[in-house]
Amino acid sequence: MSDVLTTLLAPEHRFLWRAAALCVLLGVSSSMLGCVLVVRRLSLMGDALAHSLLPGVGIAWLLIGTSLPALLVGGLTAGLVTALASGLISRLTRVKEDAAFAALFIGLFGLGVALVSKAGAPVDLLHFLFGNILGVGPEDLWLAAGVSSFTVAIFALFYRSILLECFDPAYHRASGGWSMVTHLGLLSLVVLNLVAALHALGGVLALGLFMLPAVTAYLWCDRWGAMLFFAATYSVIGSLLGLWLSVQASLASGPAMVLVLSAGFLLSCIFSPRHGLIRRVLHPEHHHREDSDEHCEAPGHHHDA
Amino acid sequence: MNHHDVLRFDDVTVCYGPTPAVHHLTAELPCGSLVALMGPNGAGKSTLLRTILGWHRLTTGSITIGGQPCRKARRRIGYLPQRAAVDWDFPVTVRDVVAMGRYQVLGPFRGFRREDHAVVDAAIAEMGLEWLADRQIAALSGGQQQRTFLARAVASGADIFLLDEPFAGLDPSSTADLVRRLQAWAKAGRLVVTVVHDIELARRFFPQALLVRASLIAAGATADVLAERNLAKAYGASHVAERSIASVIKPPVVPSLGASLRDPRVRTGKRESPS
Repeated sequence: MSDVLTTLLAPEHRFLWRAAALCVLLGVSSSMLGCVLVVRRLSLMGDALAHSLLPGVGIAWLLIGTSLPALLVGGLTAGLVTALASGLISRLTRVKEDAAFAALFIGLFGLGVALVSKAGAPVDLLHFLFGNILGVGPEDLWLAAGVSSFTVAIFALFYRSILLECFDPAYHRASGGWSMVTHLGLLSLVVLNLVAALHALGGVLALGLFMLPAVTAYLWCDRWGAMLFFAATYSVIGSLLGLWLSVQASLASGPAMVLVLSAGFLLSCIFSPRHGLIRRVLHPEHHHREDSDEHCEAPGHHHDA
Repeated sequence: MNHHDVLRFDDVTVCYGPTPAVHHLTAELPCGSLVALMGPNGAGKSTLLRTILGWHRLTTGSITIGGQPCRKARRRIGYLPQRAAVDWDFPVTVRDVVAMGRYQVLGPFRGFRREDHAVVDAAIAEMGLEWLADRQIAALSGGQQQRTFLARAVASGADIFLLDEPFAGLDPSSTADLVRRLQAWAKAGRLVVTVVHDIELARRFFPQALLVRASLIAAGATADVLAERNLAKAYGASHVAERSIASVIKPPVVPSLGASLRDPRVRTGKRESPS
């Protein structure tokens, strides 16, 4: 234990601390967006978006070369185009939003693979696409800090709009809210966070930080604010634990974090006090709604006749 | 009749696709009435409600509240969505949902003041949900869930209530409870427009009715509106046969309803199926 600490604190392990800081920063914002995706039943959208970034990154690389801002802008553009186009297709044709996403991301991913393989991608582009958590530089940290604080600020500022849009978009629209703007704004934030996370962490870990804390929080929390807070906290604890474990057991860092977060999710599935497996097996009667009889539920509750 | 207190449809036509869902409908609903909005499936009942809310564009005509276009009187309207339209697993409690009614008044940024909390508490109390306020909404019965959304409408300050099939899937005692609340609202000067499918229920408890089948068939006192020749026009000649079949299949709703209205302790033992 103390050996591990000494190793960690050595200056040549500064990269580890940078990796940890990056996971904490992006974990907080991604997990909050993950909560939005989970409750809106768009959980697989992160996956689809991640694939659709490839052609944007490929084109940016072909045009400008290995420059971090160019690659980011390329990925961001491709992601936003996918998100907006599938939003439009779902509104203007018979195709639903999830199907539109699937169709677009497969096509775009194909385009991206074609571009990159034609050009013969070098190692640095591969790192950009698949991530290299232990190669995190100071500029990555600045980017992550910016994206994360921007996302958290938006959630704090537009808490009501986001809650209404997720829970009851029709009511949001009817009460004069900017439903469409909120929806597209959230999609754009997802793309922004995904681009920032993908590049540093790679696909598996980036999506892991999006979805695993959120879906775990969904099993524990019965209020929206609590779910956001739980997801962010769980993400921080889980990824730090994963990183520590990866150093101690010399595992690859990204997968180690994902495994720790997944383990927590599986345990929650079983042991969550209100929504877990054990609860439902032990109390099958109460697993959904309680008895509907209005008159035997409130002791001392009288109806005025 | 006070001009301020009328919901008025004037030559209303709503289209989506080539055929109009509602066409050239003119009617007036004064505040203080309890109106059953009736008609066969696809007659445009929900469309009409949603048009009042501004979700559909009018092709012709206008809908006004107290002489103002609906858009300007939006705050006066409270809407109860169909049960299937709500994600009951969403992590919100009863109090959270009711508080959303204040968002409409406060906008996205202005903070809750003491009087806003008081309004939320009062709405929760009015719907008899105090002891359930901190429950997640899936852990409620169907009737309680409906009362939660009605409390949200009350908290937003609405006095015109649009209810889309509130009785679907409710057991008789919850139905009786809801009917009593709606009656009290109408008596207090609010306007309640409810999509109702059960003709007997409408006859018994709703003083006014609006019968539509794309266009208006009849409006006014329920007994007149639901006269046989109007029903035949709305539902086709087969409606009488269908209803008698339905009364064989379904448990007799009306007698037990009446019984539970008289005696609040009547238990039906019937559970609602989780949706």
